[in-house]
Amino acid sequence: MTKNETLKNWIEQYSESLLRRAIYLLSDKVEAEDIVQEVFIAAFSSYDSFEGKSKPLTWLNTILNNKVADFYRKKYKSEPYIKLDHFFDETGSWKNDSVLNDWNVSNQESELLDNQDFNKSLEDCIEDLPSRWKIPMKMYYLEEKKAPEVSQELDITTTNLWKILQRTRMQLRECLEINWFSKS
Amino acid sequence: MLKKIIHIFFLPCSKATLLMEKRNAKSISPKENWQLSMHVKICKWCKAYQKKVEILDSILKKKWFGEEEVDINTAEIQNFKDKVFRKLDF
Repeated sequence: MTKNETLKNWIEQYSESLLRRAIYLLSDKVEAEDIVQEVFIAAFSSYDSFEGKSKPLTWLNTILNNKVADFYRKKYKSEPYIKLDHFFDETGSWKNDSVLNDWNVSNQESELLDNQDFNKSLEDCIEDLPSRWKIPMKMYYLEEKKAPEVSQELDITTTNLWKILQRTRMQLRECLEINWFSKS
Repeated sequence: MLKKIIHIFFLPCSKATLLMEKRNAKSISPKENWQLSMHVKICKWCKAYQKKVEILDSILKKKWFGEEEVDINTAEIQNFKDKVFRKLDF
């Protein structure tokens, strides 16, 4: 197969998967389409460096990750400043007791994920996060990447990645508390 | 008062919750791990939160391996392919 034929095949076969991943990471269809298009252009121009050692989709996903990281670095040039004063007082203690509410879900996480309403609440809570935090969190959980790897890709310090994860999780916890656990 | 003792002798809740992230990712140092364990033993807020961190972590690990929730239809995907074919002049 010639290079053009192979690329054509890849576009046919892998566009959907790449688009889904990009939309998920960026929460923006237009941005995602632009980036996946760039992925194919990059794959075309560096085709010779693809030696067939990995599966084509794995290679394309790696290019996509790099493109998303580029996008993130360009958009957020400075290190993030993460405030926790919504949750903690000046001594660093919890401001309110809502964290004590019992979720009552020990060992039933899978059941929660089977519940459509819960999934909807979770997705809404995630989409409510600012994209500056959302993108690192999603990259961290996608393929269970390691923190140093993600922070290197996004050009933030590992310490800041911990802070981002801490802050997003605190917000998710509170959001789910309000929108799901206190209602169910 | 208890809150104050925890804060002085061990670490504030705002730091303990950060260490939970590191422990989750197995990037915590032995000293930090000890500090966190002591803190959680005597702080009911962080104890409750830790349980929720574990639940959230486990949910997110299971949830985000796929992208099937993403809203995109066949026509949009086809349009996209056509656009890329034109762009690459195929």
